[in-house]
Amino acid sequence: MAVKSKWTVVAAISALAIIGAACSGKGGASTDGTASNGGGAPFRGAALTGAGSTFAAPMYQLWSQSFLAVEPDAKINYQAIGSGGGIEQFTAKTVDFGATDVPLQRDEISALPTQSYIQFPTCLGAVVFAYNVKGLQSGLKLDGPTIADIFLGKITTWNDPAIAAQNPGVSLPDESIKVFHRADESGTTAVWTQWLSEESPEWASKVGADKAVQWPIGSGGNGNDGVAAGISQTEGGVGYLSYDFAVTADLGIADIKAPDGSYVTPSIDSISKAGGGLSFPIRPDTNILNSQTPGAYPVASTTYVLIYSDQTDRAKAQTLVDFWTWALTAGQQQTEQINYAPLPSSFATSALSELSKITVAGAPITPSSGIGG
Amino acid sequence: MAIAVGSRPLQAVSRARRLKDRGFTALLWLCAGVALVPLVLIVSYVVRRGIAALDAAFFTNTALPAGLPGGGMLQAFVGSGLIMGFAILFSVPLGVLTGLYLSEFARGRVASLVRFVAEILLSTPSIVAGAFVWALVVVALGSFSALAGGIALTVLMWPIIARATEEVLRLVPDELREGALALGVPRWKVVLRIVLPTAGAGVFTAIMLAVARGLGETAPILLTSLGNDFVNTNPLAPTDAVPLRVYFYAQTPFETWKTLAWGGALMLLLAVLILSITARVLANRQLKRTA
Amino acid sequence: METEQTREYGTVPTRRHRAVADRAFRWVTLAAGLGLVVMLGLLLWVLGEGGWRAIREFGLHFLIGRDWNPVAGRESYGALPFIFGTAVTSAVAMMLAVPIGVGVALLLNEISSGWVRNPLAVLVDLLAAIPSVVYGLWGLYVLVPIFDRDVEPALESTVGRIPVVGDLFRGAGNGGDLLTAGVVLAVMILPIVTAVSREVIAIVPGDLREASLALGATRYEAVRMAVLPYARPGIVGASMLGLGRALGETIAVALVVGNQPRVGASLLQGGYTIPAVIANEFREATSVGLHRSALLFLALVLVAMALAMATVSRLLVRHTARLVGGAVEVRDEAAVTTMGMA
Repeated sequence: MAVKSKWTVVAAISALAIIGAACSGKGGASTDGTASNGGGAPFRGAALTGAGSTFAAPMYQLWSQSFLAVEPDAKINYQAIGSGGGIEQFTAKTVDFGATDVPLQRDEISALPTQSYIQFPTCLGAVVFAYNVKGLQSGLKLDGPTIADIFLGKITTWNDPAIAAQNPGVSLPDESIKVFHRADESGTTAVWTQWLSEESPEWASKVGADKAVQWPIGSGGNGNDGVAAGISQTEGGVGYLSYDFAVTADLGIADIKAPDGSYVTPSIDSISKAGGGLSFPIRPDTNILNSQTPGAYPVASTTYVLIYSDQTDRAKAQTLVDFWTWALTAGQQQTEQINYAPLPSSFATSALSELSKITVAGAPITPSSGIGG
Repeated sequence: MAIAVGSRPLQAVSRARRLKDRGFTALLWLCAGVALVPLVLIVSYVVRRGIAALDAAFFTNTALPAGLPGGGMLQAFVGSGLIMGFAILFSVPLGVLTGLYLSEFARGRVASLVRFVAEILLSTPSIVAGAFVWALVVVALGSFSALAGGIALTVLMWPIIARATEEVLRLVPDELREGALALGVPRWKVVLRIVLPTAGAGVFTAIMLAVARGLGETAPILLTSLGNDFVNTNPLAPTDAVPLRVYFYAQTPFETWKTLAWGGALMLLLAVLILSITARVLANRQLKRTA
Repeated sequence: METEQTREYGTVPTRRHRAVADRAFRWVTLAAGLGLVVMLGLLLWVLGEGGWRAIREFGLHFLIGRDWNPVAGRESYGALPFIFGTAVTSAVAMMLAVPIGVGVALLLNEISSGWVRNPLAVLVDLLAAIPSVVYGLWGLYVLVPIFDRDVEPALESTVGRIPVVGDLFRGAGNGGDLLTAGVVLAVMILPIVTAVSREVIAIVPGDLREASLALGATRYEAVRMAVLPYARPGIVGASMLGLGRALGETIAVALVVGNQPRVGASLLQGGYTIPAVIANEFREATSVGLHRSALLFLALVLVAMALAMATVSRLLVRHTARLVGGAVEVRDEAAVTTMGMA
């Protein structure tokens, strides 16, 4: 009967989809127990899932793409759902590694199912003040208190005296400033609001610092992407973005006043200089803001990866160790090509030693031959 | 148009009334125009921005990191297929059976309750369906998955299929049922072998409409399938989907990704339009058959 | 005594078999129907369980609270800005979509000839086929800049000057605001309102209309006096269906509403709706602290709003139907799109 065949078709399609998935899906993933390192066939890697920081997303995605050349079956799927999301999914154990721009805070640590985890930095970046004003090039000089006042809604026009005083000779239009911020939780927001809290006591008491805050004014965009889109579509728009997004979005970027009084332009160089402020072990208040190193960009940040040290799946654990070892050594050379800065080598070494804490059934996993130094 | 009433002389419709009539007609046409303007604008915009993306790489390659040319949406097409496969597998039997219940067996209070529940579920925001399935399935399985995405879509599609099926089955004339029953055919056979096949095209239409709705949903998949840069055929692993990819790529500052996003949006639009038009054609044929 | 015979449908079972099969079938379909109810119950339970900590912390104050502060140590959540935004955007959508939708429905029913009517109907229905994410992106990239540059300054300088009403149109921001979201929603619910209104108007008995025409009424008068009053309950029902869809729309709104939790008079400034904030914040809201609980509590509030609206709609329809004396059956979106295409 005609109708019967319609139903058969519907059922068949869905059944085929499921069966096809179940059969072919598992293959290529868990090559259980095959050679980890040393002799025998080279380890081909396993599929991994990671989620978290949108700031680190371009870097991790480039790394995972490049790593396919090293381990062809290591399909590392990284989804940018925000630092808070990375921590949440890491806590719920729905991903193999989490990524966050802000170290785990005390209450987040106590919410973890187990205290045996590792947290290490992977690369450096920065948060910049981006703007879109016709006629204004990059390089507008601003200091912390001024920027805080903009985000507080106290400075509302471009030709405000506070801005003009720091930029003699620059013609500022009589236009209103339209503020954009993140609508989603994010490590970028945490870094930015932390810096604002250090620069402006009013900000610290009124708003505070966290991955999401109650913004006094401004429109919310989704992700760095959403904020960048908002700014670039709005005349007079401003917002905070991670450095790599701002550069590719072709927006004006401000020079920010460092603790020593000089105005620093964000660049790979000035960001790298800030890296010296990092310290191990990573604590809830670890940050590299307002670095004392001359020429360092004040709002530099680093980003962290979270992995449980007691792993159960050997192939996945091996892939985790291999991938991050590679990222901390060979991968560091790729950072600059997409506007990130590499970790200072001493910290890369400390991070590598964190990786050595990963074990399966008590036995530590060492990187496969040919990876790492 | 002119009528003599009592002793009043014949008069034409007064100018005021005639003007009101014309004005009214013009207003209605204006409404139609206003209604169509967004359709034209949106479709032309999507076509304009999406056409540029359609090349071989778009269909055969998987996602590449930002800025690298030659990326494609293969993993999103496969993923959407897998997730919809699950959604159809769950929502069609459940929806059709519910529709059967409502039209053939339900009486009084229980029927009203089920219909009321269907209405509430129909206006539940899709994100809530996603949050619901996240808490129930994703956490329990320990992973984002295509299966969870399919279940989230089922939450949305089940009430649609149920209500639409009920309406279509109601159209089947009672005489058909009564005649069969009078001949001694058992109730269940009457429903399954006579009523359902007669309404067959209409039910198929209902399914297609639900599928069209499910294809375009982003929010429930956000929370349940996570997304994947690689082709995934494992139902228990994170999977990509076209609306998800479109939503994500379109808001980035990278031109390569933006173009892909609009290409994906164009494909979505085409798929949903084709499904809707097919549903309409089938429904017309169905109505003509049972009218 | 039953004997077994072979027929077209196979052997004829005994009476007992038939009764068992019948009952089994009835139970299976009943199970499906009740399954739907169970699913809603499960949904409410999951939301309630997740939102419990926020419910316990804020209670009913949540509904009038204006804060939305997730900062650790100073957490405070209130639903009012979101309830406000959801209500306002839906109201704007209704005010635009209902008149236009009824207008189109009237056009399709009363006036058009076949070769115009069918394509027109199909085109309006195609609006329903556009995926929500496409609406949102188009709204973000096309509508928001146009509203920011042209429409809103124009509104502010004209309607914005009128006292009282003008307060709605002051202080234009950057295009992502309640008005823009309302307009996008209006386009999205237009097909439902049109389709259902069309159904409803088609049911009006032709005699009423013809009688008034015979008595000398113009088409406009016939519609106003004979058709619309009769169809009113159905049109109310159609509007309620549109409202239901508008309440729940997530992604399209999240992209154009400005994402600012705010309660204020102006439509030209950013706002936030319940589905939009859940969509933006849910993935990252940690269950440490109250953020996730608060979002789930918000979801419950929205389900409650949908429930209230479904009840009110039923009552309103029944009430207006009683006034008019006609029995009008209101079908919902899915059914109508299946039906309304002859």
